[in-house]
Amino acid sequence: MIPIEYWVIFSSLLFAIGAYGVLTRKNAIVVLMSIEIMLNAANINLVAFSSYHVTLHGTSDASGQAFALFSIAIAAAEVAVGLAIILSVYRRYQTIDVDKINILRW
Amino acid sequence: MLEYAWLIPVFPFLAFILIGLLPKKTLWWEDGGAYAIGGAVGAFAISMLVIWDVLNGETMVGDQVQTTTWLVIGDEVTVTFGIYVDQLTAVMLAVISVVGTLVVIYSGGYMHEEGVGRRRYYAEIMLFISVMYGLVLSSNYLQMFIFWELVGLCSYLLIGFWYAKPSAASAAKRAFIVTRVGDIMFMAGLIILFNHVGNLDFATLFANAGQDTNAHFESDPNMLTLATALIFGGAIGKSAQFPLHEWLPDAMEGPTTVSALIHAATMVKAGVYLTARTYPLLILTPDTLMFVAIIGGVTAILAATVALAATDIKRVLAYSTISQLGYMILGLGAGGYLVIHSQSSGGYTAAMLHLMNHGFFKALLFLCAGSVIHAVGTNDMRLMGGLRKKMPITSITMLIGAIAIGGIPPLSGFWSKDEVLSAVYHSGEFDFAFLVLWALGVATAFLTAFYMFRMWFMTFSGTPRSEVHSHESPRIMTVPLMILAGLAMVSGFALFIGEGFKKFLQDSLSLSDINLLAPGEPAEVASEIFADPLTYLSLGVAIVGILIAYRIYYLPGFDRAVFARGVPGTFQRALENRWYISKFYDDFAYKVWYGFSLVADRFDRYVIDGIVNGFAYLGAKSGNVMRKGQSGDVRRYTSLVVVGIVLLILFMVYLMPWLRGQEPWLGGWP
Repeated sequence: MIPIEYWVIFSSLLFAIGAYGVLTRKNAIVVLMSIEIMLNAANINLVAFSSYHVTLHGTSDASGQAFALFSIAIAAAEVAVGLAIILSVYRRYQTIDVDKINILRW
Repeated sequence: MLEYAWLIPVFPFLAFILIGLLPKKTLWWEDGGAYAIGGAVGAFAISMLVIWDVLNGETMVGDQVQTTTWLVIGDEVTVTFGIYVDQLTAVMLAVISVVGTLVVIYSGGYMHEEGVGRRRYYAEIMLFISVMYGLVLSSNYLQMFIFWELVGLCSYLLIGFWYAKPSAASAAKRAFIVTRVGDIMFMAGLIILFNHVGNLDFATLFANAGQDTNAHFESDPNMLTLATALIFGGAIGKSAQFPLHEWLPDAMEGPTTVSALIHAATMVKAGVYLTARTYPLLILTPDTLMFVAIIGGVTAILAATVALAATDIKRVLAYSTISQLGYMILGLGAGGYLVIHSQSSGGYTAAMLHLMNHGFFKALLFLCAGSVIHAVGTNDMRLMGGLRKKMPITSITMLIGAIAIGGIPPLSGFWSKDEVLSAVYHSGEFDFAFLVLWALGVATAFLTAFYMFRMWFMTFSGTPRSEVHSHESPRIMTVPLMILAGLAMVSGFALFIGEGFKKFLQDSLSLSDINLLAPGEPAEVASEIFADPLTYLSLGVAIVGILIAYRIYYLPGFDRAVFARGVPGTFQRALENRWYISKFYDDFAYKVWYGFSLVADRFDRYVIDGIVNGFAYLGAKSGNVMRKGQSGDVRRYTSLVVVGIVLLILFMVYLMPWLRGQEPWLGGWP
């Protein structure tokens, strides 16, 4: 049994990597990928704490795993929508550089 | 018939609806005059049947009041609409139905030249008659107040009938606003009553001679005095009593028929009716009664003096109306002391008899004046004169009216005026102030006879003073005059018919369990009147008044210029300016109130609006600054979110526990 701390440290590292990607990359597709990494960090957290429930209480609780499954399904939909948006942005502006796409402002 | 009394206001109201809504072609005679006469006559017929029942001793008071529930608030408060018929109601019904019907018929001739305006006129007159019936048939104060406001509205509409004329429009507004001062006092009085008793039904308030109501005020007896005084405040406004009397002379801007019906015979009597209706409560509060009597006495003499110098025939009559209303109010105030101290209803019955008589003879005088104005086309008596030959019927009927109001027996005014004065004199036994008021009343009787005959001589005698073409009015106008003249001659004999007016009307107080001694038989009443030296005093001053008017305004050779010089000149000018009361109100309104309004306007514009506009400006400015942050740069947003979350975590983990003096999360400080 891997202690819960390991999982938490792992998922925070994963989250930090994703956040770093979102903050530093200009390419919208890479930003989207980084967001996926952050999402998976959250999924790992959910599953880890679901199994930690057994350690704590001696009984199992599957809701964390169920949430993770939901989250994965929603992430898939989100990727589809995100890529569609990026595609139409590219068709319109001939670029997917997030620094150049800043028309949604004052 | 009593159970059908609710039909009385329905007839004129139907006429109002029909005249207002029917297509023009179906209005027939006089643009709706036919419907108006129909409505008035229908109400007249049912009124007469109801009065007949009341004369036979049937009433609808106490438990028998017909009611229908209007509002239910919680478990305790139920507001009803109902019909209340007693002897007092019957007296009012008699005046309204007779005068109302005759005035509507007379309008057929008087308003003939108005053209399309007649439709509005008849509709408004019918609405007025309907709500006036509603007012006197009301079974509680709230219902009465609603009709009270409605008659005020009709008064406003009809004074301003010729709204294109600026003086008429402003007179209408003045009447509305001035009476509103009284209405607000009335409403305040009702609120006090309602607060303490929780009910405004006459049946509840007056039961047991008002003692049940008094019990609710036990902890605070002064509040009852205040409530009755405020309710009387409504009467001050509506019945044009000093100091709110100045609207009535201005109200003469309306058609003369309106002046006769609303501003002489019916609506202005609503205040007197209210005071009489409140009697069971008034006799619990002698202070208010004294206030009532003083207001009445002062009004009577004040208005009579102004009538001396008025040159507009309708204004003479208007001031005369105010003065006579003062008489009634004085009689009611003094009569209350008689009820309290000697169980006599003398003042109450005298005032109401005067109300009825005055309704007939003042309507007659106004309609005669209308006939004269219709003929010569001016209101100014200085331009009239010598009309007796050309207008025989009008001149004779008006003379009858003048004699009646002047107080010469056996015409109606004599009986009621004498009864009022005698009641005031007798209440002098209980308070000296009434003797002073009695003296004012006698002086008023003298002035009344004088100015009435001055008016008659100036209008009808001598030679014409201007080139006006005049003629007798058509029969549709003279017949109502003759009927009213007949009533003005005989209505005073109500004192002696059957058991007598006193016994009849006293029953309306007895129904509220007020303990009263029975008045004498009619024969005793008559012998009392003629055995009393005071009768001859009031008769004497009236005759002197007539003779002086005869000397000055009829016989040639009197130099009226003496009135314009020296001390009489000062008086003359004061009277022509209505004792400067009107001017005072105007100045007050213009200088003091207008100045206050200017300050309020500035305050509104710069302080209130300044605050509101300031907030709007602040919002716009700060928005302009803040929106610069919306750069559209996604990565900057993201980094701000991350920084925010990190700060929030630090706050939760370290700062919050530190502030609470606890250990931080996750095992100790770093």
